[in-house]
Amino acid sequence: MKIQDKRPKRKFPAEKLSFNVRSIQVIITLSFTLLTILIVLLVSIMLYNKFTRTAEENASLNIQQIIQQVNYHLELYVKGMQDIYEVVEEQINQTADIDRPILREQLNTLLQTREDLVSVGLFTPEGQLILDIPNVDMRRNTQLRQQSWYETALEQPKKLSFSAPHIQNLYKGKYTWVVSLSRMIQYKDRGELKQGILLVDVNFRTIDELSRKVSLGKKGYAYIIDDLGNIVYHPQQQLIYAGLKYENLESVLEYSFRSYMDNSTGEPRFITVRTVEPIGWKIVGVAYLDEIVTTKKDLNQFIFWFLVVVIAVVVVLSIFVSAKISQPLRRLERSVKIVSEGDFSTPIHVGGAYEVEQLSKRFNFMLHRIRQLMDQIIHEQEAKRKSELDVLQAQINPHFLYNTLNSVIRLAERGKKEEVTTTITSLSKFFRISLSKGKNTITLEEELEHVRHYLIIQTIRYKNKFKYTIECEEEALNCTTLKLILQPIVENAIYHGLEQMVDEGWIHIRAFIQNERLIITVADNGLGMSTQVMEQLLSGHIRHTGGSGVGVKNVNERIRLLYGKAYGLSFESEQEVGTKVTIILPVIPFNMENQERGMS
Amino acid sequence: MRRVSLFKSSLLIVLSTVLVSCTGSGATLHESSTIRRVDMIVKMNHGDFWKTVKMGAEVAAKEYNVDLKFKGPQNENDIEGQIQLMDESIKGKADAIILSASDYMKLAQVTDRAAFYKIPVISMDSEVASARVKSFVGTNNYEAGQMAAERLVMLTGEQGRIGVMNFVKGSKNGDEREEGFMDYIARYPDVRVVSVEYCESDEQIARTLTRKMVAEHPEMNGIVALNEVASIGTAEEIQKLGIGGRVKVIAFDSPDKVMELLQEGIVQATVIQNPFNNGYLAVQQAVKAIEGDDIQERVDTHTKMIDLDNMLWPENQKLLFPFVR
Repeated sequence: MKIQDKRPKRKFPAEKLSFNVRSIQVIITLSFTLLTILIVLLVSIMLYNKFTRTAEENASLNIQQIIQQVNYHLELYVKGMQDIYEVVEEQINQTADIDRPILREQLNTLLQTREDLVSVGLFTPEGQLILDIPNVDMRRNTQLRQQSWYETALEQPKKLSFSAPHIQNLYKGKYTWVVSLSRMIQYKDRGELKQGILLVDVNFRTIDELSRKVSLGKKGYAYIIDDLGNIVYHPQQQLIYAGLKYENLESVLEYSFRSYMDNSTGEPRFITVRTVEPIGWKIVGVAYLDEIVTTKKDLNQFIFWFLVVVIAVVVVLSIFVSAKISQPLRRLERSVKIVSEGDFSTPIHVGGAYEVEQLSKRFNFMLHRIRQLMDQIIHEQEAKRKSELDVLQAQINPHFLYNTLNSVIRLAERGKKEEVTTTITSLSKFFRISLSKGKNTITLEEELEHVRHYLIIQTIRYKNKFKYTIECEEEALNCTTLKLILQPIVENAIYHGLEQMVDEGWIHIRAFIQNERLIITVADNGLGMSTQVMEQLLSGHIRHTGGSGVGVKNVNERIRLLYGKAYGLSFESEQEVGTKVTIILPVIPFNMENQERGMS
Repeated sequence: MRRVSLFKSSLLIVLSTVLVSCTGSGATLHESSTIRRVDMIVKMNHGDFWKTVKMGAEVAAKEYNVDLKFKGPQNENDIEGQIQLMDESIKGKADAIILSASDYMKLAQVTDRAAFYKIPVISMDSEVASARVKSFVGTNNYEAGQMAAERLVMLTGEQGRIGVMNFVKGSKNGDEREEGFMDYIARYPDVRVVSVEYCESDEQIARTLTRKMVAEHPEMNGIVALNEVASIGTAEEIQKLGIGGRVKVIAFDSPDKVMELLQEGIVQATVIQNPFNNGYLAVQQAVKAIEGDDIQERVDTHTKMIDLDNMLWPENQKLLFPFVR
């Protein structure tokens, strides 16, 4: 039993390791996973597209708003500058004489109240200084006639022009970055109306700071150009001048209000152009796409991990589910395998999914049927053999009948009427018990009676060459025994033990119950047997022709078939001393039921 | 039973890996936008030149996602202080160091030390005597000297008598400028360099030396000052002596005072470098060095000759006056 137990266990790891692509578990796991990945991917792509589009839209809107805000501030500031210019101009206009100190005072006050205001200057169209606030020495080599504010004032005398930011190099003291406002105006010099160029320099600092503060992502920035494309403000102005940076101004100059994508620098950038209306400056917001759409990156990350988690969960789940499905099947398979190896006694475990359970049940049912059929076959086989034996049993050796009848004839010839009667009576009784209505089992009493009649016939035949005794315990008499078990043994004792003896022989038959077993001994004082002969007797090799036809072997076999291997014959023999045969049977009181069982 | 435990354990493994990977996602997120720490150690923590360098460096830092630390001793001569700052940066495990060495030789050792700790060193503006420096970003001083000489010869004619006001003897930059200047002058046999002086980067000394030079060589009709401080001292002294215009002055760098004197006609021209680009390109090179990209051994930030004619060109205005105040 142990060996059988170990077998499947040892095979188990090998089974687990062998990866069968067609196994249910693999098929389910793979298809589950593939399907889920497909669905998740689809959903992710859709979500991703949707999200990124919204994020991009939001980002661009946001940037446009920022730039719009800056633009708004700039416009306000420029308007403020214009207002100051108007104030200065008005004051100059109102003054009858340009040299009057009151004007200088007024303008000085104005300059002090407005921090941004750097200087005010009035020049003749030839470039001669007429009035300057604050009153500082002019520098030499100012080249003012080449400066843009001077040139535009001459070219467009009516229009208030804003210069690009530049260094104020007119007055001694500081070099300041300024935006110059200039126009041709009229002033009175000692009552005389003259034309002059009024220059108001405004510190560039405010615009610089305003622009510098614009932050569009980490790298993004804003720059300002004037209507000619000159850089007003650019955080990387020097790099552009050095040729290390490049700004695609053409597309910026074309439009006054626009948002678009630019790829001219190699990196995708989102450009927003707004125009500062009064002066035609353009404020340009530059945002790097990879920065403003940070959500894209986050989303990528999220979707990636989402996929990983989903796949992991699905794999785990499908492994679990498929194992749940395939495990009972495998168990069933293993059980079937055990059955196929010949073990019909272990029932199959019933469990798992409904189908598998049903399958197991049906299989168990089938197994049960097979077992039944097998039992039946064994039974039938046994019955067949028994009937064969019965037939054998029924065969009475004609020799015995012939010998007996011969002796009867001889007795009759000699006129021994009484002995003839005894012999015939015994023969008649002998046969009656032999047949005993076809029954297989009889009481010990009957069996003993049977052998007694046989012995009577034989003693007459052998002219009292031997004697016999039959003893039986009272309680043993009613015990069940197979019929025709003693006669072959006695026959054997006579033919092999007593026949050739010179002295008078004897046969003792005893029946008694010992240790809950019925024991019948047949002892004689015949020639005895060699062990070889005894073995041959039990194996059926010796069959004497004069006997009843039922061999000793037959007796042994019949006992064992009916009662089991614990019962049967045993011999004890010594040459020239005698033989003792012991029959061991179970103690079964004779009744109708036993009789039936014996019949079947 | 064994099967079930096997299954359970595999489930556990999968779940735990998922969990671990989820928590790990934070780390990978930061990796894509690593902040690189670059320390910039300059000769002095004040002065317009270095402020402009810083401005350029900051623009690059913003562009390349760099955490920039700008450091410098109080004084340009404080070599010990600069070495200390280098050691600090090495200890602080900066990803890269940009060094503008006050002394060519004395900062070599600490530079090697930084290289030993696998910190790439970019030298900027002034070189250092170490072979471990990844790249030099700065002016070609020899060419700058030649440029100054060319203009001065043009101004003084081929019979010029020229004085040279260098700043520190042994300073790499000064030496190179002087060498370039001298090599160019040597082409003109009749042009003489009558005097070479070193003002120790001190305005006052520069004034004294100029006075001395003028007194000793009255025939001198041209003078070149090889750095900012020397330029201010020399030009102001020339103006004070009232010989402005007769003695032509070529200056270096563009402090307001020099620009003023340029407009006054005392200084005829000034050679300017591009500190903004120095700072910008140095940081750019540092980032490349951190990333392990190939970097140029020398990055030349060009010099320019500024005179009255071109000083108001927009691109020069920005170079001359980098700050909006």
